Formats: sequence, structure tokens, C-alpha cells
Amino acid sequence: MKSATEFWGAMAKMWIDPGETATGAKKVEKTRVQESMESTLKMWKMVSSALSEPGAVDSLLEGVNALPEILVKMAKTGWDRYFQLQQEWAQTMGRIGQRTEAYQFENLDQEAFQIWTEIYQEEFRRFLNIPQLGLTRFYQEKMARFADKYNLLQVAMAEFMYLIYLPMEKSFKVLQENLEDPAKEGKMPENSQEYYRMWLKILEGHYMTLFKSPEYTQTLGKTLDSIEAFVVAKQEFFQDAFQTFPVPTNKDMDDLYKELYHLKKRVRELEKKTSQT
Amino acid sequence: MTRPKIPVDLILSKLAEDADKVQARAQKASDILLGQLNTEIATTPCEIVYEEDRVKLKHYKPVLPPEELLGTPLLVVYALINRETMLDLQPGRSVVQRLLQNGIDLYMMDWGYPTRKDRYLTIDDHVNGYMDNVVDFIRRTQNLSKINLMGICMGGTFCVMYSALHPEKIKNLITTVTPTNFDTDQGLLHIWMKDIDVDRMVDTFGNMPGDLMNFGFLLLNPARLMIDKYVGFLENMDKKDFVENFIRMEKWIFDSPDVPGETFRQFVKDCYGENLLIQNKMVVGGQKVDLQKITMPVLNFYGKYDHLVPPGACELLTSKVGSKDKEDVCLDTGHIGIYVSSKSQREFAPKIVRWLNERE
Repeated sequence: MKSATEFWGAMAKMWIDPGETATGAKKVEKTRVQESMESTLKMWKMVSSALSEPGAVDSLLEGVNALPEILVKMAKTGWDRYFQLQQEWAQTMGRIGQRTEAYQFENLDQEAFQIWTEIYQEEFRRFLNIPQLGLTRFYQEKMARFADKYNLLQVAMAEFMYLIYLPMEKSFKVLQENLEDPAKEGKMPENSQEYYRMWLKILEGHYMTLFKSPEYTQTLGKTLDSIEAFVVAKQEFFQDAFQTFPVPTNKDMDDLYKELYHLKKRVRELEKKTSQT
Repeated sequence: MTRPKIPVDLILSKLAEDADKVQARAQKASDILLGQLNTEIATTPCEIVYEEDRVKLKHYKPVLPPEELLGTPLLVVYALINRETMLDLQPGRSVVQRLLQNGIDLYMMDWGYPTRKDRYLTIDDHVNGYMDNVVDFIRRTQNLSKINLMGICMGGTFCVMYSALHPEKIKNLITTVTPTNFDTDQGLLHIWMKDIDVDRMVDTFGNMPGDLMNFGFLLLNPARLMIDKYVGFLENMDKKDFVENFIRMEKWIFDSPDVPGETFRQFVKDCYGENLLIQNKMVVGGQKVDLQKITMPVLNFYGKYDHLVPPGACELLTSKVGSKDKEDVCLDTGHIGIYVSSKSQREFAPKIVRWLNERE
């Protein structure tokens, strides 16, 4: 290591300071590249001298050997949390629909979706809420908000779609139950249309029960809230993008329309007044 | 050998038979769908006689000679949701044609398609603005002091407000599937509307998107409107008449203009939220809407099986107006059936004509 440093040090010195070495002439002014090279060389010499000290390499190797252990520890912490999350998700998914009964929508496991939302809010949303810095911080914030509202919309839509699908699932179950007795008595309908009509009637009944339940009204309200929040975030985000083009934004147009609306109203009132006099 | 309790053999043979029929039907259907179809709606000849912003006034060409026409013209005001073309869906199933054939001089309000520009328009702008201008136009051109007014659904609610605010201009008032009492839990719409955050909705969207409302209407009965309806279509798609009528209906249902934001906000808050109209507490254009000022004859139609505007939302009106000549007519049908079902076609328009004739 020491001999290598000495060799490359001499070579670099020759390149940096060729005039003095070759001709013995007056020292010329150094260029920026040469200065930078010299500084790097000095740093290298310093490091290599330090490494040449007895025991330094052993200490370094010890540190290098310890690196995988540190990385494993870091990764382990991350993976532990990830597996814990996965377990929570699996439990959540498992619970969905476990406690629902035919024509009953009061005992829905809405909590399952709440947990799902909480996991997103606690584990992922934080990354989108990291304070943004610098000149473009407002634009970055809007982009993060757009992504956040999109994710929340996905969760809300999943919950809503789950509710909408639930009567389907239940209606098939009820149809099977309803057919048990005729099957025992050997009075099963021969026409497939008959089965369809029975199922449709059951399905309709289930939907009516669902739509009258407070759970549905709340979920509908929550879904609409998520859609609206997403639309607002999307508009804010695209508004910035549109500002770079020679087109007015929605806000510009709304201001203009409002002014136009009030002006037209005043003109009509004045027209009416003048026609009456 | 005993017969199995579930007749699997019979079910399978029936299915096989059905499969043959389906194949034949699909072949015929493809010929129909790929061929020439007449799916035009609102084909009854009319003239646009007045225009203001997006609003147009249609005047239908009378089919009877002038001496056989009823002296007082009838102005029909449709809702801001969906389009007035529903009254003229197809020949033989058209309220417009029935009225014309029975001597009614017919005008129809076409609200057009509101754009973002119209988001600030309020109920006052529609009732005391557009409607009043149209009524004045008809009175002026026909040289009459009063005209007959008929409202449909939300358009009926506007007509009730108008008749209370301008009773001197209306001779007879007809309301059809018109919500005036919003404090009822009979219809799902009434339940849902109480929970929506209308301020946030209007602030977000500007106008209330027609497609979003249509999606809401489909959710009122998904089993029938999203499944059974199309199963019915598949079963009948080898019949040209059926296909044409089905497509006409689809054209009308999904032709949904947006509703001006401020109008929607006020309608949901004052009507669905506070139920102000039926209590004589609603304020439009700075004036209180007093139903006692409706002193002209009133004919009030509603559908027994209407899931959008249930009887409970309609039937209170006649007991609250100031008129002595008033009548409720409950038909055994739903919200749209009143105008399009064959049975109602025989009852609805003829009843209107008789009633107006008696009061001419």
C-alpha cells in the first residue's frame, strides 16, 4: 500500500508540476484542474499514510466485516414491521364479510375498512406528508396531496363496492336455502328462468334492505367525500400544470362567469325597469 | 329406479333446448343490430319560438284546425334532471302527440345543457327569470292574460313556486310526479339526500354532474335497472320493434344534463333539508312562496309505485294550496311509467285534456 502510494504520488506530481521538474524554469500558474488534482492527491496521501499505520487495516477490515450485520439489523427491523402489517391486512381481509347475515346489514364489519384506512394513514401517508423544501415546495405538496387523495379514494371505493356486492353474495346463499325444501320434496323447478326470477326477487329485497340501512348511507357519504376531496386535489394539481400553457384555469373562468352572471342580472333588472317607465 | 329429487336431466335438456333458441335469437339479433334501426326520439314537428341563453321554447305544430284547438295554450315545464324528450319518445307512445291530437296548443320548455357558465344560476333565475319570460312571451304572442301550466317532477315544483308567485298569469295548474313535501322516508332519494354534504358537492363540481346523478338513480334499484333490464334486452333482441324502443329509452335515460350548482344547492337545502316549500317558508328571489296564493284549479298526478317521488312527497300539495277546485289522481304506475306505459297513455293525457276542457 505504501509503495503504491509513493509511485502514484510521484506520477501525479510530475503531471501537476511538469515545468519545474523538466526544465527548472520559473513556476507557471496552476490551472483549476491541476489545483483540484493536487488537493485530491494530498487527501489520498493522508488517507494512505493513515492506513499504513500498523493495525489500521485490521481495524478497517473489522468495520467492513461488521457492515453486513448492521445491514441485516436494519433490514430486520423493516421486515418485522412489514410482516406485522401483512398479518394485520390478512386478519382484516379475513374478517370482511364474516359476520354478515341474510337481509341484515346492521352488523357489517365496517371496522375492517377502517383498519385498512388507518394502516394507510399511519404507515404510508406519512411519506407523502414529509415537509417539502425549496422553491417548488408548493407544487410538490400539491402533487403529494393528489397522490394521497387518490389512495384514500381507492380505499373508499373498495369499501363501497364491497357493500354493493354484498347483496349478490347473500342472494345466492338465500336462493340455495330457499331451494332446500323443494329439493327435499322433489318439487324443483325445471325451467332455468324460474331460478333467475327467484334469485332476482331475493336480490332486489337485499338491495332495498341495504339501501335503507344507516351503514350504507354513511358509506355513500364517505365515498362522495373521498371523490370530492380527490377532485379538488386533482384540480389544484392540474391548475398549476395549466398555468404554463396559455389557457385560463377553472378558477379564472369561474371568477369571470360570476362577474358575467351579476352583470347580466343587473342589465335585465334595468331593462325591466326602463320598459315599465 | 326411483326418480331423483332434483330433475337434473330435465333441467339439462331444457338448457340444451334454450341454447338452441339462444343461438337462433343471436343470429336474428345480429341481423337487426347491424341493419337499419329507427331510434330517433322527439320527432314530433316543432318550432323554436323563443331563446334565452341555453333555454329554448318549443311550440308544437298543431295537428287539428285552429277552431278545434283549446283556446288557452299549455306550457309544459320539465325537470332540470334528464330531458323533456321523454314526453315524445316514440310514435304511439308520446304524450306530446296525444295532447296535440286532442286539440291542445302545446308549448314545451327545453332547459338545454347547462355549462360551467350556468353554475351561479339559482331557483330564482329559473322561476322568476326564464319561466316568467317564457310565460310573458306566450301571453304576448297569443294575446292572453293567462295560460295553462303543467310541470313534471322538479319542473312541477318550479311550477308550484311560479303559480304562487305569479297567480295572475296562470289559469290552470297541472302537477305530475311533483315533489312538494320532502319530509318523507318513503323514497330512497329522500333518505339519501338528507345525508349529503351539498355545499361541498357544489363547491367541488360547480354544476351537479348528470352522470353522477344517473349513477345514483341506477343504484335505487340495481337488480332491475342494471341486471334484469339487460337480461330482458337479450331475451328480446331478435324483435326489431323491441330493440328500437329499448334504444330510444336508453338514449333518453342517459341523456343527462348537469344541474346548475346553485339551483341544486338551494333545492337540496331548502326542499330536501328543511322542507320549506310545503310550510310556506321558502324564499325565491326575496319573496316568500305562499301556497295559499295558488287559487287557480289544480290537478295533481302521482304514481302509486313511484320510487323517486313517492306518493307521500306529492299528495300533500292539494291540501295546502288556496284553490277550491283541486284534484289528486294516483295512477297504478311508477315515476316514468306515467308518461310511457301503454296503460297510462290511455289514462294520463286524456284526463288532462278532459280536465282542461271542463275549465276552458
